[in-house]
This record gives sequence, C-alpha cells and structure tokens, in this order.
Amino acid sequence: MIRNHLSTIIITIITATLGVIAAISFGKMHHPEELFPGDGLTGKVMLSDYFEGIKGTNGDTEVYLFDSGVEGGTALVCGGAHPNEAASFLSTVVILENLSVTCGRVFIIPRLNNSAFTCSDPMEGFPASYEIPTKSGTRRFRLGSRVTNPLDQWPDPLVFSQYPSNQQLSGFETRNINRSYPGRPNGNLTERIAYAIVQLIDKEKVNIAFDIHESSPEVPIVNVIVYHEKYEEVAMGAILGLEMAGLQFSPETSPKNFHGLSHREWGDYTNAIPFLMETSNPSMGRLRGRTDVDLVLRGYCDNYKKAKETGALRIAYREETGEPIAHRVGRHIAGVVELINSYNLYYPDNQIVIENLPDYEMIMEKGVGEFLNN
Amino acid sequence: MKTRISTIVTILILFFAGSSLLAQKFEQPVLISSAGQSADVKLVKMLAQRQDLNATTVLMAKSEDLTGFKTLVIVPGFSSKGLGAAGISQQDELERVRSLINAANDLKIPIVLMHIGGNARRQGQSDSFNQLVADNSKFMLVVKQGDEDGFFSSIARAKNIPLTLVEKIAESAEPLGNLFK
Ligand SMILES: [Zn+2]
Repeated sequence: MIRNHLSTIIITIITATLGVIAAISFGKMHHPEELFPGDGLTGKVMLSDYFEGIKGTNGDTEVYLFDSGVEGGTALVCGGAHPNEAASFLSTVVILENLSVTCGRVFIIPRLNNSAFTCSDPMEGFPASYEIPTKSGTRRFRLGSRVTNPLDQWPDPLVFSQYPSNQQLSGFETRNINRSYPGRPNGNLTERIAYAIVQLIDKEKVNIAFDIHESSPEVPIVNVIVYHEKYEEVAMGAILGLEMAGLQFSPETSPKNFHGLSHREWGDYTNAIPFLMETSNPSMGRLRGRTDVDLVLRGYCDNYKKAKETGALRIAYREETGEPIAHRVGRHIAGVVELINSYNLYYPDNQIVIENLPDYEMIMEKGVGEFLNN
Repeated sequence: MKTRISTIVTILILFFAGSSLLAQKFEQPVLISSAGQSADVKLVKMLAQRQDLNATTVLMAKSEDLTGFKTLVIVPGFSSKGLGAAGISQQDELERVRSLINAANDLKIPIVLMHIGGNARRQGQSDSFNQLVADNSKFMLVVKQGDEDGFFSSIARAKNIPLTLVEKIAESAEPLGNLFK
C-alpha cells in the first residue's frame, strides 16, 4: 500500500520543502536591511507620524533626523522613490551613515516608496539584491521595483487619472510615487504615501528637498538637475559649482503641465525648493545586455558603446569607464552638497551647514563601501 | 611728401585694421533666446548678468521681440522637458527659431551662438538647432566638450566665423562680456 504511494509521498515532501524555502526567501523581501546611521543622528520617526493613514501598511517608512541644535534651515533628502534605481537608495544611505550637521536640520528618507522595495519589476530580469564590500565585510541591499508592490495596491485602472490635475497616464503609473504628488488622504496607498511626504515637508517647514533618481542612458533626461522655475538661481549656481569640480550636470526646468512629479508638486504645494537629480544607469536601459549584479554595480555595457557610436541618439554613457556605482553615488552626493551651498548663498537667514560627506574623488578612489558603517 | 604718404598709408592701415576689429564687436542691448528650449539659456542669462550686460532673456523670442536690440545671442540645445514646459513640439520650435533668425538677418542684427551644454546638448535632437544657429552666426562661443568631434569648428572654418572655445561654462563669461567692450 505504502509502496504504491511512496513516490507520491516523496514528491509531496520535496515540493513542500522547496515551497517552504521559496516562501522564506520571498518573505525576506518584506524585511528591510538594517542601516547604520552616523553619530550625528538625533531622531528617528516613521512617516506615518505625519499622516496616520499609512500606519501599519508597507508604505510606512523610516524618517531619520539630524538636528544640529543651531537655528537654521531644514533640508529633506529622499532616496528610493524608485527602488530599482540602486544609486538613489545607496546615495541616501551613504549620506545617512556619514552626515553631520552643524547648522539647521536634515531629514533623510532612504526608502521613499517602501512598498516598492518588497518586489521587483516583472519581465525585467533584475537581480533581487546586490552586495557592496565594506571595511568590515559586505552589505547586501535589495533592488526593488519602480512602483508600489501590487500586493499592496491592486488592481491598476486601465487609465490613471492623476489627482488633482486629471492628467491621463497609463494605468501602471497609478503605483508610481513620482506621479502621485501632492497625494490625497483618502486615495490609494501610493497617493497616501505622497500625501504623507507633503505633510512632512509642510509640518517641518522644509526649505530644500531632494528626490534622487537614476534613468536609462538613452532617455533625454539624464545627468541632470531638474528644478522648479521659482528657484532657477539656486540650480544655476550649483551647476556652475559642480562644473568647477569637474562634474557636468545639465539644468532642466520642471514642465508646468506635467503633473504628479516631486519637482513640480513639492514646489507648487509646499514652501520647499525641490530638486530632482538623475544619473545614468545602464542596467535600466532598453538596450542593455545581460542584466546582473555586475551591470547594476559596474555599469558597463558594450551595447551602449555601440549605440553611442551610431550617433542616432544622445546616449549618456562613457565608453571607457561605463557608469559605475561609485560614479553615480559620487555625483548625487556632490549634487546635494553643491545645491545646499548654492541655497545658502540665496537664503543666508536659513543656513544649512552639512559636513563629513565624502566628495566625488574620494568615492571614486575608495569605493562606496568605504563609506558604509559596518 | 613721402612722410605724408606714409602717414596716410599708416592711417589707412590703422583704419582697416580697426574696422576689421570693429566687425568683431557687438553692441548692446542684447536679446538672449533659446533654440530648443534647454535650460542652458538660464545659465547664459546668469553669466550675462555677472558681466553687467544690458541683456533681456526671452525664451521663445519672436521677430517682434527684436525691436530695440542690437545683438541676438542664441543658446542652442534640445530639451524635451523644456519643450514640454513651453507646450510646443520640436517642429514648432524649429519654425520659431528659423523665423527669428531670418528677421534678425533682415534687420542686420548680428547673431552670437553660445553653446555651453557640452555633449548633453549635441547630436540627437540638438544638432538640428546647433546647425541652424551656427550657420547664421557672426560669432561662436562654445564650451569645448560640445566640439569634441569638431562640429562647431568645422562650420566656423567653412563659413569663416570667429569661434572661441573655452574649457568650462564659467570661463565663457569673460569672452561673452568682451564681445561688447
Ligand atoms: Zn526614478
């Protein structure tokens, strides 16, 4: 009798074991990796402290505070709006783990769309995580999705009608936090996260706010600082400063009629001066080859070299070196520093003085891992 | 007699030398405009301010806007965000630039090309604007990275247009100011 069923039993046990292993691995995606803020940290709250409506959801996320105790301005640095953009999250982590503030305050949100860190984009073949060697070992980080996890917000409408502009976008963009600002308290999860961020900016009287991104080498908006038209001078001052440091950024005005984006709505709905920066990430591009951790971190892909040689499109890709993670993180941190420097010139009454962040050359020389605690 | 002739010759030489130098001078007030709506034009506006130029920036200047100006500075470079902000197509923008250039040529208002965006404002959709403005300019001021393939220098050579190349955007402020001194 047992003999008759033996193969069934064995197959069942093997399947169950594999199922449990897969479930554990899948479950891990919902556990964020530990971060190790530097000594300057003075507080940590949750985004839901600014808006109850996201409490207990995967959209809730940590907000770190560095308060110098000296009266000044307030900055907000956000990474992970799109968790498939490795340098976005990682730049924020490097800032979090090194920053010290001697005037004013700095808020940091490393996982702006926390829900999107818990899944990856289907059909893209992205690795689930990547590792960075550090001084004392290696740190593993999740590579997430561009949009909110469908387990947290489903289904998508056929056409997304952006609130409150009514601008029509593809249904998928319903889960894109950077199309959801200013958000609304009774909206879908993504809109509620967006609303919570706007509440934080308002309540904490944020003066300058950063939204850090990456994009494909072939899109027109890459290696840029996108600025709100009200704050043109701050952007231009920073671009000249960055150029003197050997880093070229192109200025881009936020289009008035393209809604839901941080650089538009934070500027329209709050008193903050918003900036969005993009680096070139070949692992996100349509022309990429094999999509693995090496491509995410080394950013080297021959297809882009070939594409650039055709001259058909403008391609933001450096043939010799590729677009390695140190270069991308280094650019973002330099961008934050120079924009704050430029802001300080125009707003001397609300100074923000930040220290101890590695500069571009240091990150290029020593690697990102050197500037991660643990 | 001999001294007289030599004096006249000297004066004539000085006169022609002077006028050829004068040909490279431009007069204020200056109208600054974009071709392709990249925000680089905002940087040029800032540089012009730092050089104390009597300059007005009109992103989408039309022929009528030329009234009262003695020099037109055009900053070419394509930006989809910029065109989006202006709510116009690339074709509309090309048409606008073409008619602005034609009007300036009719009014004998010299055009200065200022390309500061490096390779970010080259190739792809930028070069149609770069070409159009370069072909019609009386002077070109270009940040070197934008001329790595010799795009601007070959136009300058072919059309005998003076070209100044600088390493960095910030270094373009002085030569810009000098055009009007
Ligand atoms: Zn992004």
